[in-house]
Formats: sequence, structure tokens, C-alpha cells
Amino acid sequence: MAVLNLRNVTYTYPLTDAPVLKNVSLQVEEGEFVAVIGPNGAGKSTLCYAIAGFIPHFYKGELTGTVEVEGVDVRQTTLSERVLQAGLVFQNPFSQITGAKYTVYEEIAFGLENTGVPPDEMHRRIGQVMRLTGITDLAERSPYALSGGQQQRVALASILVMEPKILVLDEPTSQLDPIGAREVFAVIKALSEQGRTVVMVEHKVEWVAAFADRVIALDGGEIVLEGTPRQVLSAVELAGRGFGLSRYTLAAHEAEKQGLWPRGEPLPVTLAEAVAGFGRRGGKA
Amino acid sequence: MHERLSFYIPRSSTLHQLNPLTKVTLTFTLIILAFFSPWYWTAPLLAVGVILPLSALGQVLRPYLSAAARLVLPAVAFIFVMQSLFLPGGQTVLVRLWLLEVTVESLSAAFLTTTRIFAMVSAFILFLLTTHPSHLMSDLTRRKLPAAFAYVIISTLQIIPQMQAKAQTIMDAQRARGLDTESGFIRRVQALTPLVGPLVFGSLVEVEERAIAIEARGFSSTRPKTSLHEIPDTPRDRAIRWVLLALIVLTFASKLWLS
Repeated sequence: MAVLNLRNVTYTYPLTDAPVLKNVSLQVEEGEFVAVIGPNGAGKSTLCYAIAGFIPHFYKGELTGTVEVEGVDVRQTTLSERVLQAGLVFQNPFSQITGAKYTVYEEIAFGLENTGVPPDEMHRRIGQVMRLTGITDLAERSPYALSGGQQQRVALASILVMEPKILVLDEPTSQLDPIGAREVFAVIKALSEQGRTVVMVEHKVEWVAAFADRVIALDGGEIVLEGTPRQVLSAVELAGRGFGLSRYTLAAHEAEKQGLWPRGEPLPVTLAEAVAGFGRRGGKA
Repeated sequence: MHERLSFYIPRSSTLHQLNPLTKVTLTFTLIILAFFSPWYWTAPLLAVGVILPLSALGQVLRPYLSAAARLVLPAVAFIFVMQSLFLPGGQTVLVRLWLLEVTVESLSAAFLTTTRIFAMVSAFILFLLTTHPSHLMSDLTRRKLPAAFAYVIISTLQIIPQMQAKAQTIMDAQRARGLDTESGFIRRVQALTPLVGPLVFGSLVEVEERAIAIEARGFSSTRPKTSLHEIPDTPRDRAIRWVLLALIVLTFASKLWLS
């Protein structure tokens, strides 16, 4: 059974006329890694808020359809119970620091204190997620005195420690420098290899190609394409709609027009796929 | 600069081990005694005979003295001078300075006020030096203080240095575009205007994100909250609090009877 099940979800923010999500249906199986791509304003963050229960509990507005996590519809639960099922990490590392805690260790404990986890259990879980996210040596530092990449890993640890069934990541690296982004992606990769269920909005196509089992292309609030990373990310028709595709895809597309890409071979997304494809063409020629 | 955001100095003294609520009660008892005791010498006696030894007991004597000297003494000295010069109604004139006169009565009233203020502020400093803010808040939330209230207090304490840093960044950005912030006074005041917009509106936008972040951590959960730090509340703590409470009652009672 799908862990996450969205059926015909349409949502309009308060005081606006046009829906931001239009008839979105999506099933995610346990352990699956689903990436969501789309141009600005496609409704990607709204989708994340809907999964994590912020719609309709935090942002009111008009929601139709059902959003079920582990078979529970969002309307049958409260926000604070929903976040235990679907944990949300978003873009800005700085504003995810609660400001209520003086050390990283305490910061990670915040969610556990709020939801009534006993102290012994807290210490066990915090130790575990700090190792997983590679921040054990930061335990006694102030969460404000960290780099962006470190702060984002603290934010990730603070959500993971609550052991949500689904991890929802809304462009977790978009405000980080390349080194910080790589640190965060390394953690996400490890999580995915452990069989976590992850829904990640991300622009960096090459990372998506490396992680995702399935890619959803969202545009104007609708799912316009869905499939394996290679199928979706190499769909050049998306480039015209404001999707950022990888330079390898675009280069191979140009090559294809000139007859320089092997016929019938899907366009590449990563460097390795491009090298393989052009290599085969070279072999034939 | 961002590493230390509170006055708190970690030690393992008897005072540090007291329950935060006991220390809150102690602080307020000292203040009430200083202000409402009918005896004239109570406040100076508390400052020298109680708060000072307590700071030694709490192993924070040196930071206590330095905070008292830097923060309290200048303000207290100023109040003392002003009150001795301007309090009217004295009979026994000691010094006459043009229109102003220092009288025995104004000196004695000034001494009373300043020693009371000194006792109050130094009691607070001692409290802040020996009590970790998050321990205080965990203990108070355990005693049913609303979590939202505790959150507002703690995050405000933390947010001030953040705001300062952000204001500095905006200032630098405006200066890089040629804003004059260094000539005369009027110019400097004018230069503040382009700072206010980004700082205030930027902070408001951040409030929404911060709200999402804390809700994502189950902030509004109705489950009984727990605390990472187990803050002991011993029979000794409870005994001390009863004694302090009795002292407060005695102070008010003596005030009522003797007046």
C-alpha cells in the first residue's frame, strides 16, 4: 500500500482566485525516492505543504481531494500529529533554527520535547541522527554560529529525529554554496540508501538523476510528466516551459538535430550517460 | 560573538544546582525586602551581606563584581547625585551650589533609593549569572507556563544579536551603493531610513518561515511535553521557597503594622 496517496488534490490559497494545485494525484510507495521538478510558481512548495499538513491546517484556503499519509487523511488529523508522519525541511537554513535553544543538541531535541518523547529515548535518537547527518562534533555549538550547510544538516537532523514516515524536502540546497549543498546531498543519499521514503523538490537535475526512483514534472499546478529520471529529465520539450534541464541533455539534443546522437537512444541526463551515448555514436561512425 | 548569547556562566556550585524557580523566588524576595523593609539599612546590608556572599557561593564573584561595576555603579551614581541635588524639602543644608542645595534629608533619601536600586539590579545579575535561560524555561513550562510564552521570551533574547548583525549587513549594502552614513548628525539620521524598511519587512517575512519551522517540530502538539534537561526540584528547594515566602509575608506585614 502506498505510504502517501494524493487523490485529485486542488488547492487555492486564501484571497486568491486561481488554484495553485490542479487535480494532482500521486502515490508514493514505502522506501521510494520521488523528485519533483518544475519552473517557479509551478506549485512545488505548495505540494510540500499539502503533504506535511500545513495545508489546510496552517494555510487555510480551499482544499478539495484527499491527502493521505499511512491511510489517514489530512483533515482527520492535526498539524502537530501530521508532522510526525511527514517531516518538512525547507530552503532557508537560517529560519529553520527555532531560536529557542542555545546548542545544536538542544535544538534537535526541540521537536521531541514538544511531542512528549521521554528523555532517555531523546538522547538515544539524537545521538543516532547526529551520527547520520555528520554533526556529532557540533553538539555543543550555538546553532547560529554554523555555516549554511551545517545549519541545514541540523535542520534535517531536527526533523529526522522525530522519525517521520515520509521526509519532505523543499529545495533543501537552493540557498547553500556548492560545498554546503554537497554535504546535504551526501546525507540525503545515505538516507535514501537506508530505504527512507523521500519526496524532494530540487532544481539540480544531475543530483535528481543520481537519487530519484521517479521524477514528477509539475507545471502550472498540474503533473505534466511522470516517469524514471531518464525519461522525464531528458524530455527536451520541458526546456521550453521553463524547466532547467541538464547541459548534457541540451547538448545531446542539439547533436541529435545534426544526426550526431545514436538513433533511438534516449537523451542523456548525466555526464556518464552522455559519454556512453556519444561513445556509441563514435563507434558506429 | 554569536557563541555566547546569555549572561550564564556554567559552574557546578550549590547556587547553580538550585531549582530555577527557587532562584526566581530568591531574587524577588531580595527585591521585596530591599524596597519594603521598614528598616533603613536593609538594602545596603542585603547587597553586601547577602548578594555578595551568594555570588562567592555561586563561584561567580569576579564576573558579578565586573558586571556590577560596569552596568550598575554608573547608573546608581548618577541617580545619587541627581537626587541629592534636586530632592526638595530638606532643612539641614550641607552644601549650597548656586540655586541647588544638598541637605541631610536629600542625602539620606538618595542613599535609600540608590541602595535599593543597586540591590535590585545586582540580585538580577546574580540570578542571570547562575541560571541557564533554557533551564529556567524548561522548568517553568513543566510548571504549566504556556510554551508559547516561554518561546517568546527565549527567542527574543536570542534574536537581538541576529537583528544587529542583519542591520549591519543592510547598512553595508546601502553604503556600497553610495549612501552617506558618516558625515553630520542629520545625514546619519537620514541614513537610517533606508535601513528600517528592509530590516522590518525582512523580519516579518522571516516570521512566517519561523512559524512553519516550529510547527514542523510539533510546537502546537497537545501531548504532554517533556524536557531534555531533567531539572531537579529537591525537598531542600521546596523548604527554601517556603522560608522565602514567609520572609515576603513578614516584610509586608511589618510594613503594614509599622506605618
